[in-house]
Amino acid sequence: MSWVTIIFSMMASACLMLGLICALIWWRQRDAWAYLLFALAAIGTAATAFTDLAMLHAESPVHFSAAVRWSFCANWLMIVALAGFVRVYLRAGRTWLLWTVCGLRTVSLFANFLTGENVNYREITGINQIPFLGESVSTIGEGVVNPWMIVAQLSLWLLLIFVVDASITAWRRGERRMAMLVGGSIVFFLLGATGQAALIVWGHFQWPPTTSLFYAGIIFVMAYEIASETLRATQLARELHTSEQKVELASAAAGVGMWTWDIGNREGWASAKAQGLLGLRNSEHLTEARFMDTVHPDDRDAVKLVIERSMTTDHNELEVEYRVQPRGAETRWVSARGRVERNAAGTPILMRGVLLDISARRRSEIELQRLQGQLAHTSRVSMMGELATAIAHELHQPLGAILRNAEAAELFLEHEPPNLDELRAILADIRADDQRAREVIERLRALLKRRSIEPHALPLGEVLMNVAALTRADAAARCIPVEIDSGLGVPQIMGDGVHLQQVLLNLVLNAMDAIDGAKSRQRLITVRAEYRGGRQVDVMVSDTGPGIPPGDLGLIFEPFFTTKASGMGIGLSVSRTIIEAHGGRLWAQNNATVGATFRFTLPTEDKAAL
Amino acid sequence: MSEPRPVISIVDDDVSFLAALSRLLRAAGHTVQAFSSAQQFLAQMTDAPGCVIVDLRMEGLSGLDLQAAIAEQAHACPVIFLSAAADIATTVHAMRHGAEDFLTKDAAKEDLLEAIERALARDALQRTQRFRQQQLRDRFAALTAREYEVLQHVVRGQLNKQIAADLGITERTVKLHRTALTTKLRVRSVAELTRLVQEAHIPEHFSSTLPKGQ
Repeated sequence: MSWVTIIFSMMASACLMLGLICALIWWRQRDAWAYLLFALAAIGTAATAFTDLAMLHAESPVHFSAAVRWSFCANWLMIVALAGFVRVYLRAGRTWLLWTVCGLRTVSLFANFLTGENVNYREITGINQIPFLGESVSTIGEGVVNPWMIVAQLSLWLLLIFVVDASITAWRRGERRMAMLVGGSIVFFLLGATGQAALIVWGHFQWPPTTSLFYAGIIFVMAYEIASETLRATQLARELHTSEQKVELASAAAGVGMWTWDIGNREGWASAKAQGLLGLRNSEHLTEARFMDTVHPDDRDAVKLVIERSMTTDHNELEVEYRVQPRGAETRWVSARGRVERNAAGTPILMRGVLLDISARRRSEIELQRLQGQLAHTSRVSMMGELATAIAHELHQPLGAILRNAEAAELFLEHEPPNLDELRAILADIRADDQRAREVIERLRALLKRRSIEPHALPLGEVLMNVAALTRADAAARCIPVEIDSGLGVPQIMGDGVHLQQVLLNLVLNAMDAIDGAKSRQRLITVRAEYRGGRQVDVMVSDTGPGIPPGDLGLIFEPFFTTKASGMGIGLSVSRTIIEAHGGRLWAQNNATVGATFRFTLPTEDKAAL
Repeated sequence: MSEPRPVISIVDDDVSFLAALSRLLRAAGHTVQAFSSAQQFLAQMTDAPGCVIVDLRMEGLSGLDLQAAIAEQAHACPVIFLSAAADIATTVHAMRHGAEDFLTKDAAKEDLLEAIERALARDALQRTQRFRQQQLRDRFAALTAREYEVLQHVVRGQLNKQIAADLGITERTVKLHRTALTTKLRVRSVAELTRLVQEAHIPEHFSSTLPKGQ
């Protein structure tokens, strides 16, 4: 075995091996075109090595000429693939230059087969034997130079210019190491190969054909570059793994579960914590049906709606609080937040987010609501106490009328004959008065019943009329007219009638106290509803009292703040809580002329219908 | 003296109670007029005999306001207050200002009817007294200024001689005036004259209100 055979064969097989590896990588990852181009260049180099070997061992000019001819096929593959590789790998280089290089090289390949024996020589007339690595090898002796050779040479020089230009672009972009290594090595080895070829052909320089050695140089440097790239990817993967562990640790410490949902494949992934929250088994495949199965039946529609909305709108964010019902475990409240990720075309491809157990917060919210409800009830009962005299009056009216009617009926019955028309009228009146008394009692019962706030669509006028009925007697006794204006075109509101009555009663009674306390000569309370478009209704309670001292404006809504000798100081604070629970605001201001105005807002019905 | 039948006016802004009470009183044999506000009552008020039943709490003019307005009239009629629920202070105020009675709306029928009877009786009495006083005042109004001066001296118990000296006239002229005034007032003795003056509540300065005669 000769050294020449050993070196060239090993070089070829090394190139083939590198090429195969990269081709396999490309096979698994089809968009990694750089790997395919590198693989083709490596295969071209391996082929060049074999044709070189054939030249070195050629026994006649005819053999030598045939080897040169085939070597151009291998060169073509190498050069075209290399140019493509530079373009893809450096993401730089002029496209027209790239196509010119490929075109000229292809033209030279045609010339290789159509003009003379090969593109370098029209005819090889003799070969020389020279010593190389301790043995005698063949090299060009004599031949007729083919003018088409210029084209092949030109393509090589243009390739050089293309690579230099691409490297400069990459260098300017900041990727200096890559530009230096890829551009530098290609220029160095191509200059070597081109120079050698030129010297042999034009200068009759006695040197064995070793183009493949230069090409292999390029391939090995590129392989080094690609390997270090792979190394970096491994490093990134390791760092990613570490950071994933950190995130996992942090999320476990914070009690946050993580999840992703692959929209295309309709399957999900959940971290261990999220699996625990949802009651999923460790290896369980998370499908859409399985996920919906974990959601409390009452919340399923709401969850579906939120997910659909996040995908169909530009918002992309999703946030929903719902109940999960793990198999065989108690129901828990969770908060899911996430974001939809889209591809370049804007199609949603992935949802990613976190899951948080909020059962404890929900429990305390419910407890808070219960306590607020109790306070509201207490406040309502105490207000009833203030209204007691007036309400007794309200009840006495129909009861007194019933008594008088019954007595009149007794007297009419003594007449002979009894006036039946009169008796019928009496019975009808008794019935009507009974109804009136019942309504008074119903209004009271509604106010005294302990209940939570349950908003539903409601005409505001009805609430205002009830308040007017409850305060009518008190207003008459104190000689303070209460004017009610339900407003024109005020839409239905979302509210709880009893609780809104409580707020209005509280404001009206306060207004009466203010007018009475200051012995104001002007005595008038106006309750007005107003709708100025949008999704809210304004309600105003104005009085002609002395107004609120500016220093107290910020304090009156504080719990236990009172200016009345007998007041508990919870009325306004409870009222504000009730209005805020309705999604509105309650505030006070002094009027320009006389008295104060309390205003609150309520959402209209539309808002909830959305 | 032939008075028309007494009329019972009811003033209450609660129309349902107003109708029921009117019906009861009519059934009990009374003549009834119903008013749903104090203003309405005042606009239609006459000096016919009767009494008025007033609700204490009403929108607009209250029961107490109405009581004050009635008291200003020359022919004030008795006022009975009815109330759904009343406090002591209001009751005392009403009674002090001459309310005939103060009843709750669910008071026993008998109490109510008795109160009405009492009020009507008082109204009749007050009317008789007012009628008699008016008659007396008419008699006194027939006196001349000089006769009235003489009358005042007589009532003080002065003799004719003293009166003549005080007024700067002769004793005989005094006698003539005395005869004229006893005839006009239809009295026979000084004692009867004194009683008549007291009964008619003739004020000291009464003379200044009389037309100047002779």
